[in-house]
Amino acid sequence: MSSGSGGEPDAGRRGVLKLGIGALGLGLAAVPVVPAVGYLLFPTGSKGGEGAFLPAGKRSAFAGSVPVRVELHADKVDAWNKTPDVKLGSCWVLERDGALQAFSTVCPHLGCAVDYDPEAQKFKCPCHRSAFALDGAVEAGPSPRPLDALEVQEENGLVAIKLVRYRQGVAQKEPV
Amino acid sequence: MALLDWLDERTGIRSATRLMLEEDVPGGARLRYVFGSVLVFLFMQQVVLGILLAFYYSPSATDAWASTAYLNDQVTYGWFLRGLHHHGSSAMVVVVVLHLLQVVFAGAYRKPREVNWWTGLLMGAIVLAFALTGYLLPWDQKGYWATQVATGIMGSVPGGEPMQQFVQGGSEYGNLTLTRFFALHVFVLPIALAGLLGVHLLLFRKHGVTPPDLPEPELRRKTQPFWPNQLFLDVLAMAVCAAVLVGLTVQTHGAELFAPADPASNFVARPEWYFLFLFQLLKYFQGPLQIVATVLLPGAAAAYLFALPFVDRSKSRAVRSRWSVLSGVGLLMAGVTALTAVAIVEDGGNESFQHGVEQAHAEAARARELAREGVAPVGGVAVFDNDPEQKTRNLFKEQCATCHTLEGKGSEEAPTLDGFTSREWLAALVRSPRDRRFYGATKHNTMEPLTAEQASDEELAAVVEYLVSLSGASAAASVDAATVARGKELWDKKLECSSCHELEAGKEGAGPTLAGRGSPAWIARIIRDSSQKDLYGDTAEMPKFADKLSTEQIEALAQFVASRKAP
Ligand code: HEM
Ligand code: FES
Repeated sequence: MSSGSGGEPDAGRRGVLKLGIGALGLGLAAVPVVPAVGYLLFPTGSKGGEGAFLPAGKRSAFAGSVPVRVELHADKVDAWNKTPDVKLGSCWVLERDGALQAFSTVCPHLGCAVDYDPEAQKFKCPCHRSAFALDGAVEAGPSPRPLDALEVQEENGLVAIKLVRYRQGVAQKEPV
Repeated sequence: MALLDWLDERTGIRSATRLMLEEDVPGGARLRYVFGSVLVFLFMQQVVLGILLAFYYSPSATDAWASTAYLNDQVTYGWFLRGLHHHGSSAMVVVVVLHLLQVVFAGAYRKPREVNWWTGLLMGAIVLAFALTGYLLPWDQKGYWATQVATGIMGSVPGGEPMQQFVQGGSEYGNLTLTRFFALHVFVLPIALAGLLGVHLLLFRKHGVTPPDLPEPELRRKTQPFWPNQLFLDVLAMAVCAAVLVGLTVQTHGAELFAPADPASNFVARPEWYFLFLFQLLKYFQGPLQIVATVLLPGAAAAYLFALPFVDRSKSRAVRSRWSVLSGVGLLMAGVTALTAVAIVEDGGNESFQHGVEQAHAEAARARELAREGVAPVGGVAVFDNDPEQKTRNLFKEQCATCHTLEGKGSEEAPTLDGFTSREWLAALVRSPRDRRFYGATKHNTMEPLTAEQASDEELAAVVEYLVSLSGASAAASVDAATVARGKELWDKKLECSSCHELEAGKEGAGPTLAGRGSPAWIARIIRDSSQKDLYGDTAEMPKFADKLSTEQIEALAQFVASRKAP
């Protein structure tokens, strides 16, 4: 059928045309695909900033060794939205040897919210039964590391806590 | 190759590819056959780009603008992909027209290709529908107002109201309008276009290309295969088209994004350039005649094109024998081009339009700069709340307007702050301190008015100038020294103001000290705690904001109130 009886389009010339089609076709595909890599994989220049110290309340609220659960609020920028004063997370705060100690409520195993059991005086995760001592050490269950301690700052009788999320399921405490 | 053999044995992929590519082009490959392929390419590119845009775009009245601004101004290459999609739609319109003109020129609409012609026309209409629905999606001023006109036209034709309500999702624009336009733009129209394209291409393969009007043997002699001869020209044309699009996108730095849609504003709405001819046509037919421009003329043109295979009764497709059809379509194109040109020229000479465009660009730039901080969840015009002055205004509205009036709004429980401590304000206060504009509604309404017998207007003006000179370094620079000297003399020798008011900072009297009065620092002290001894003391009623607001907020409010002096 496509014999090209004209004689002029010999095989060599057709080979060039085919090569040209391939090269131009690749170029055409590259126009949206190349920028799309940056667009999808590295959408914005900077990646999620350092956690900030967030106000957690008055120092006097944390007297005693019974852990208190505190919710931390701050303005949050989520892609195009900026929401004032949203709940960003929570932590357990208790006094140990006169100093304040804060633990993230995110279970290091798979991220469930860790509870406090006042009778057993332990932190317990409701999901896979990890249990933690008051110093955060693992006492039972699958958690690969102790509860994640958060930095605490005290100034003029006010407490601030640095909210950081750590990778789940690994023995090392690495921020995400 | 072994892999291909394996695959071919199971799928027949080789013969399928051959079936697709192996076709004869009688008369040989030609440049004027490229437009259909370029359209296929453009459509595919639009689909890819549209999917990419959907990774960031959020179709709700609160999020659409902010997500588009984010995509365009913050996401890596977002501006490029959005710009390419925007200019790609213009390119599609252009190439659809070129394709149509080539089909008309070649006589390819004639028997037996009528159905191919009709599916083509339907696809052309769909391309325009893409443009119309896509225009609204950013929910910016331009899209919002231009689309209002389009749906308004829909509602104004007899029986069109239910249709308008349907596409709008109600009687006015809102979330439902956006979700409907979005569903049309990304699901309904692409699927419809893809379906029609399938039919269009199958019919094309069934009938083959319409060759030039040459004797059969010559056509046969010049025949070339589609692959690779015609396809090479096709791909070359696609590459030229893509290069133009990339160049245009880089040069314009992508598509425009105007300020967020504001139903309370008035915006100089214009449709996209390829709809300008309809916009211009509308200017000539007003009132009851409007329907001529909105329905009758466009409808007649569309009907003419649909009926073209029957209108054309010539025996051959030779150009000579089809002059009436060719001039009919030519006239149509000339009309559209002329109307478009007139619209552009008229706007070019319209000063108020040009001014409006300038303003719109300035507002767009400001909104997009503010959007970099993030937009409050209420969305859209709330982006302007990021403006420091607007933040302070909002703070004033929340904290202060419950007692103070500003710009005619608020309560009169406390002194009005319009023109606060301007010369006019001070003079009026001294004449009638117990007016509600001043201290009438407060506990410190014990100041006696200064009557015209006690001091003439001219003397009062001198005292006021003296007070202004006391109110701080920046105010002191603007006073008239001779008047101040006269005011000081009146204060010291004639008037009795000093029996209550001290002129020394921090010194306590029956009335507040006048040192620094009205300066931003003084206003900030009042906001913190107006019951300090040298201020309003026991008669102070204003809440103390020292604990409620941050230092920055108090200073911003003080600056804001101090700047109300200017008219
Ligand atoms: C999205 C829009 C469209 C696409 C993607 C498209 C695509 C194509 C393609 C790939 C071809 C074969 C190559 C060629 O002859 O150019 C073709 C042929 C054809 N198209 Fe279109 N087309 C579109 C719109 C239109 C329009 C608006 C019309 C006319 C109103 C039309 C009428 C035809 C006709 C009659 C043929 C046969 C050409 C011939 O026999 O030479 N198409 N189209
Ligand atoms: S998530 Fe806490 S134990 Fe599994």
